[in-house]
Amino acid sequence: MSDYAIDTEDLCLVYKRKPALDHLTLRLPRGGIHAFVGANGAGKSSLFRVLLGFEPAASGSARILGHDCRRLTPALRERIGFVNEEHTLPAWMRVRDLTDMQRRQYPRWNDARYDDVLGHFNVEPGQRIGELSRGERAGLNLAMALAQGPELLILDEPTLGLDVVAKRAFLDAMLQGTLDDAGATVVYCSHQMDEIERVADNLVILERGRMRYMSGPDDFCERIRLWVAAFPAMVPEVRQLPGVLQVQVIDDLTHIVVFDQDDSFGARLKLLGAHSVQAMPLGLDRAVNAFLAHGHARPVANLLAA
Amino acid sequence: MTRRALLMLQIVTGDPRPITRQITDGIKRQIAGGDLLPGDALPSVRGLAQQLSINPNTVAKAYAELTAEGWLLSRTGLGLFVAEQRQRLSDEERERRLAEAVDRFVSDVIGLDYPQQTILDRVAADLSNYETKKTA
Repeated sequence: MSDYAIDTEDLCLVYKRKPALDHLTLRLPRGGIHAFVGANGAGKSSLFRVLLGFEPAASGSARILGHDCRRLTPALRERIGFVNEEHTLPAWMRVRDLTDMQRRQYPRWNDARYDDVLGHFNVEPGQRIGELSRGERAGLNLAMALAQGPELLILDEPTLGLDVVAKRAFLDAMLQGTLDDAGATVVYCSHQMDEIERVADNLVILERGRMRYMSGPDDFCERIRLWVAAFPAMVPEVRQLPGVLQVQVIDDLTHIVVFDQDDSFGARLKLLGAHSVQAMPLGLDRAVNAFLAHGHARPVANLLAA
Repeated sequence: MTRRALLMLQIVTGDPRPITRQITDGIKRQIAGGDLLPGDALPSVRGLAQQLSINPNTVAKAYAELTAEGWLLSRTGLGLFVAEQRQRLSDEERERRLAEAVDRFVSDVIGLDYPQQTILDRVAADLSNYETKKTA
């Protein structure tokens, strides 16, 4: 058995004439919750299409649960759950019929877990999917995904559009589920940093079709620091210093977010003329933000000002 | 009869302290302050994860750290309990941690422009809370 839930090498894919995956090499160990973070268009959805065998890659290899993604068998698909952000479900079906169908498809189906999640939504078995609100459809979709008890569960923005109660119910069911299905792997895509902080064992940052970073979220935060420096007159060109992710001049102070720099960075700032420097840690939200801002598209005016 | 402790913990996302650290800090404070007594049973990993809506692995990690440092005691099959508290660290380590904490504290408050005595009084008042609770 492969040690990796997801294993890609040099994966390339062109989507609508833009490179969506750019020599992506990603080895995701089995077990735990892996949070995928990336700007819009980072290649998350493209990656999932290739992994689930919906689309062949232009080049490179992709394996899921140890099997080639170009040749997935029904038996293997049974072990993989996928929830897309649109919560696409057949609108004409009744909830009862859809659930019965899923129950037949997945031998590990867990009714208790299905009820646990769906109980928080006002969904009747006799209703048609088309009659449900977006939030109710999301609840139904997530309840089915968790009840399926998959070895690998891929969730793309699962909580988008849920109210606070429903969101908490879903997160609880998912987190508690990780205790019952020890060894199961969850891929969790989200832009909500507070959620990621709560759920993630591992943080994966994707950018423009490449993997930029992978480690535990705490380790990530430890490597990112904010330096605040006061320069007497002109702000020197600090962007060129090693490890600089983001520079902002706020009032008279220059805020510099850096990656993997120790106290010697402060000494460098002093050499450049700063008369006071201070360093502080950043929370996950700001740390990820700075990391992504580094390569994020910016309006031309901002580039000139920078 | 063991007492199942209710852990009054608040997790703040967006805090520079990781959640593991927020849990370990919170439990240490409650032990030092006498809210948790030696022999008290801690919530289960599943229970605390549910209470705080966080990943159970994070709770397990925090508990493991506290156990390794001697704050908690694991009894096979029964769970975790608050250990009898004694000085767990070598003198050098205590000195190193104190210096580190003072350094961090000073750089946090130095810019706040309070008179030195005000800051010292505030720290003393906070510390005295723990003294009285411990002897009570």
